[in-house]
Amino acid sequence: MQAKSRYKYLFVVPGIIWVLAFTIFPLLYSLRLSFFNARLGKPETFAGLNNYIRAFGDYRAWDTFGQTLFFVSFSVFFTVSIGLGLALLFNRPMPGRQIFRSLFTMPMFVAPIALGYLGLTIFHEEVGAVNTVLRAMGMVNLPRWFSDVWTARMAVVLVDTWQWTPFCFLVLLAGLQSLPEEVYEAAFLDTSSSWDIFRYVTLPLLSPVLFTVTILRLVEAFKILDIPFSLTSGGPGAATQSYSFFIYLTGLRNFNTGYASALSYILLFVMLIISSFFFSRLRKNFEE
Amino acid sequence: MKYTKIIKNILIWIVIIIATVWVFFPFYWAIITSFKMPTVILTKPSLIPFLDFQPTLRNWEQEFGNRWPEISKGLGNSLIIAVGAALIAVTLGTMVGYGLARFRFNRWKNKDMTMWFLSQRFLPPIVTVIPFFVLMKNIGLMDNQLALILANATFTMPFAVLTMRDVFRELPKELEESAYVDGASPLTAFVQIALPLAAPAIAAAAVICFAFSWNEFLFALILTYKNAQPITVVIAGVEHTQGIQFWFVATRLLLAILPPTLLALTAQRYIVRGLTLGAVKG
Repeated sequence: MQAKSRYKYLFVVPGIIWVLAFTIFPLLYSLRLSFFNARLGKPETFAGLNNYIRAFGDYRAWDTFGQTLFFVSFSVFFTVSIGLGLALLFNRPMPGRQIFRSLFTMPMFVAPIALGYLGLTIFHEEVGAVNTVLRAMGMVNLPRWFSDVWTARMAVVLVDTWQWTPFCFLVLLAGLQSLPEEVYEAAFLDTSSSWDIFRYVTLPLLSPVLFTVTILRLVEAFKILDIPFSLTSGGPGAATQSYSFFIYLTGLRNFNTGYASALSYILLFVMLIISSFFFSRLRKNFEE
Repeated sequence: MKYTKIIKNILIWIVIIIATVWVFFPFYWAIITSFKMPTVILTKPSLIPFLDFQPTLRNWEQEFGNRWPEISKGLGNSLIIAVGAALIAVTLGTMVGYGLARFRFNRWKNKDMTMWFLSQRFLPPIVTVIPFFVLMKNIGLMDNQLALILANATFTMPFAVLTMRDVFRELPKELEESAYVDGASPLTAFVQIALPLAAPAIAAAAVICFAFSWNEFLFALILTYKNAQPITVVIAGVEHTQGIQFWFVATRLLLAILPPTLLALTAQRYIVRGLTLGAVKG
């Protein structure tokens, strides 16, 4: 087995070097950049903490961060709760369940950017599908989806929810199906209330999976950019700009790369704080 | 008792039908829109072909006609980028996954290395896009598919690492161990014994990496401007001509989503495991 130990690095080192080269190096570069007054094509000057100080006083940074929190909390709440509801419904013998499962994977694999443009046609105020249906149902004051701040935000959440509910559904269904049947048999002896069984048997047993799904959704939702980019272009005004969107505009439209790097590092820091709450629990998944 | 059961079943099926309609409606909408005349789209909201509106092949004829060079280039670039990225991510990811599953690393704990690869998914892409832009500019890879292959291979590698680690852990060790007894090196054991057994999982991991690379937009937008534009960026271009052209949104969207969604259907067994980075077994 001595020979094995010499070889083992051969397996992991290429992957590690790759990630170091394309993640850690860029991160270090932008860390440096965040301390400079940097604009593309102009000489850089050292700025110290100025970019960070500026970020904390920038209302656009706060606004877009708040909007991101709005998207994240609603999208995570809707996707996880609807996904859980559907998973409970589908967790029974039924004809064609495999087909349902297969077809429900499709939304996750639609490019978000394409989905946003499709959403633009679905939520269109005059001839979009949603308002057509609402009109047919007799609604008079049809929502002006993209002109009103809150409906535009809701549209972003709805599109994201459409895309990621199936993910939560599939993962939670897999979680439900892996629960031991004996526990249920025992529980049915004690009570016949399906609510009690859900509350005191299913939910506690499912909580590790529920936890994992919530984190993964949380982390993905924080990255939101493509859908506001295509669906609302960040509007009306800047009402649906996410924080990532704001960084994009600052660094890559206005080429204020130093400031954008500082904004990025603030986001990275927030992500670190959020994930640090979960790392130890997530790490338990990888028992050796 | 019996009646409540029947009512309960009916309610369950109603919810299932609503859920199915909710999932399928956007696809349906894209399909019918692609068969509508632009005048119909802009004047008459309609949902049912033949009854509500007269379907036409006009939009598809245009897409496959004078617009085809632009679209086929986009699709071709997406294919090159997604295949290249998936190949790199899966090759390196399978090796790392095998290493983490089969060997014990003392200096760096296996658990920590696994977490390190997983945490790459926690990194918001916007954080690395500016340095990537500067880097690619400096090494002359702007508007080059290779730049996007490198970027997407990096983003999707965690899927491959975590899925493959999990799959190798479930494969019995005994076959490889008997090969060691016969004097095989770890590399031979890996290539000749473990790889063939894990082939379906490797293919599924490749599908996931392919799909996410195909759908990536931000880096594609920043790193390409003409020749290397993948389909996601081509789609984003429809807006700029004369307002939003519903009909071309629909046709392009359908062309763009077909490859990843259809491929994903083949990877069913590993989707949950792959997308939860091995945390939940599907």
